[in-house]
Amino acid sequence: MTHAIEIEDLRKTYRSKSGTPVLALDGVSFQVPQGRIYGLLGPNGAGKSTLVKIISTITPASSGRAAVRGFDVARQPLEARRQMAVVLQQAAAENLLTVRDNLLIYAYLHGMARSIAEKRMKAVAEEFELGGRLRDTVQELSIGTKRRIQVAKIFMLDAPIIILDEATTGMDPLMKRRVMDRLRAEARKGRTILLTTQVLSEAEELCETIMLINRGRTMASGTLLELRKRTAHTFRVSLSFAQTNGELIGRLEALKPLELQVNGSAAELLFHGEEASLLGKLADISRDTPILQFEVRGPTLEEIFVSLMRDSP
Amino acid sequence: MRPITAVFYRDYRQRMTNIGFVFWDLFVPLAYLMLFGLGFERMMAGSSVIGDQIPGYTAFLLPGVLAMVTFTVAMNTSWGFFMDKDSGIFYELLTYPITRPQFLIGKIGFSVLLSVIGSLLAIVLGVVALDIGIRWDLLPLTVVIVVAGTASWFFLFSMVAIRLQRMDAFNTVTSAAYILLMFMSPMFYPVVDLRAWFRTVAWLNPMTWQVDLLRVSMLGTGSAATLWLEAAGLVGFALACLALASRALNRAH
Ligand SMILES: Nc1ncnc2c1ncn2[C@@H]1O[C@H](COP(=O)(O)OP(=O)(O)OP(=O)(O)O)[C@@H](O)[C@H]1O
Ligand SMILES: [Mg+2]
Repeated sequence: MTHAIEIEDLRKTYRSKSGTPVLALDGVSFQVPQGRIYGLLGPNGAGKSTLVKIISTITPASSGRAAVRGFDVARQPLEARRQMAVVLQQAAAENLLTVRDNLLIYAYLHGMARSIAEKRMKAVAEEFELGGRLRDTVQELSIGTKRRIQVAKIFMLDAPIIILDEATTGMDPLMKRRVMDRLRAEARKGRTILLTTQVLSEAEELCETIMLINRGRTMASGTLLELRKRTAHTFRVSLSFAQTNGELIGRLEALKPLELQVNGSAAELLFHGEEASLLGKLADISRDTPILQFEVRGPTLEEIFVSLMRDSP
Repeated sequence: MRPITAVFYRDYRQRMTNIGFVFWDLFVPLAYLMLFGLGFERMMAGSSVIGDQIPGYTAFLLPGVLAMVTFTVAMNTSWGFFMDKDSGIFYELLTYPITRPQFLIGKIGFSVLLSVIGSLLAIVLGVVALDIGIRWDLLPLTVVIVVAGTASWFFLFSMVAIRLQRMDAFNTVTSAAYILLMFMSPMFYPVVDLRAWFRTVAWLNPMTWQVDLLRVSMLGTGSAATLWLEAAGLVGFALACLALASRALNRAH
């Protein structure tokens, strides 16, 4: 079966104002199976939004291929657009129109009949707590509320693919949670979701597959578990002692952790290296200052991210 | 909803929130007709016939005013692209299941409506207040030319608005176009007696074609041979601008 999203060796060179070419994507490939939540992660300028803009037919790729549900975005753009609902990184709401018109016109422009759109509009407004603001002009609303409208709009549609570029930026935590729950529910129903985010905990919680990109290239991709394996040499150690003192902290620092946090009688260390050799050194410490509790954990997504970024050329 | 209808509906809702705009779109050309038209008519009181057998300056000017209406309305509508870029909706619109030509054609709907209303107002003003004789039998043809003119100018200015990032650059381009296209055409004066280079430029100017065609449909003057050429030119110009504006939409980023 064809994948919901197929990206093959995509390259994009922008021409900057000064005329020098900017290589935003340098041969990116990946596939997203139907019903999957796929996360794109990378530092500022990595090329995430460029990827989103190519897939959503806003800008053409310089070379390579992108297809959604089998439709090539360059050769069958209209068919491709029919497959997706897109939230761009840039805010997008009709400032002069009311909240109600924003939701309705979005649906009309996606081919929905008036009667169906009216019904959905009420449900969506309810879900995203816009019910009381339907008659307000968008111009008068807060930035976060505008963002909420932008995201709420996609739930007016049944498009099989949802693409979100840092969509929860600017939303309050409760609304973020609601959006994430809704996305998970949609994925369970078979919709495919491609999202970019800077909030690593969000990707960690939401995405089944994650791709890390930097300077237009894929650095790593896979499930969170697979990414952990790639960075198996990074791990977090929690220790607790009866008490800590300057000498002990000095000995912990001598282990050269990437991070060291001492909190009363507990210490948190982030290491990069061989676990076995570290355990030996900790045993030495424990002979003088007994370690009461000891825990080793794999890295969080954030730690994977930092570690991979550090290793990248 | 069908794509073109939906785009039209969006524009309609948006324009209705700011109806003051409409006033200027329609008022400026009418002011030209009254002030400019009457002023020159007085000044040229001696010569009773202008250009090709046209009685009086206001009669000569009226078709030009209709062309001006189409031009002004189209320019102001395409300016709306900057509002859409500002709110970010411009880029989101490009992801909707609508072809680029459908989007542009949907967007001329409201402009065409305005142009037709503006033109009818100018005609009524011309007939009632200035006593101009109109070929009422050719009114449908006049409307067709007004529609074609509005579409051409809108596609032309849309292409510019889509490609330019800055509004001040757009304003500079459109102001220059406003002056050049209107004054290098027979909108305000007959070009037959002017210098050869000026006549050549005027002949290549789509505004000339539109004004000539309007003079035929409104006053019944002009020669059939060149008119067919000008009609074909206007349609070709509209289609070429549509293609270029669609292309610009495909390269927005
Ligand atoms: N329209 C453009 N013209 C020229 N260069 C561009 C354009 N858009 C993006 N770029 C460049 O392409 C590169 C990738 O940008 P992109 O917006 O895709 O990054 P991103 O991963 O989305 O970053 P962020 O996390 O900041 O949103 C950057 O170097 C950027 O400067
Ligand atoms: Mg981005």
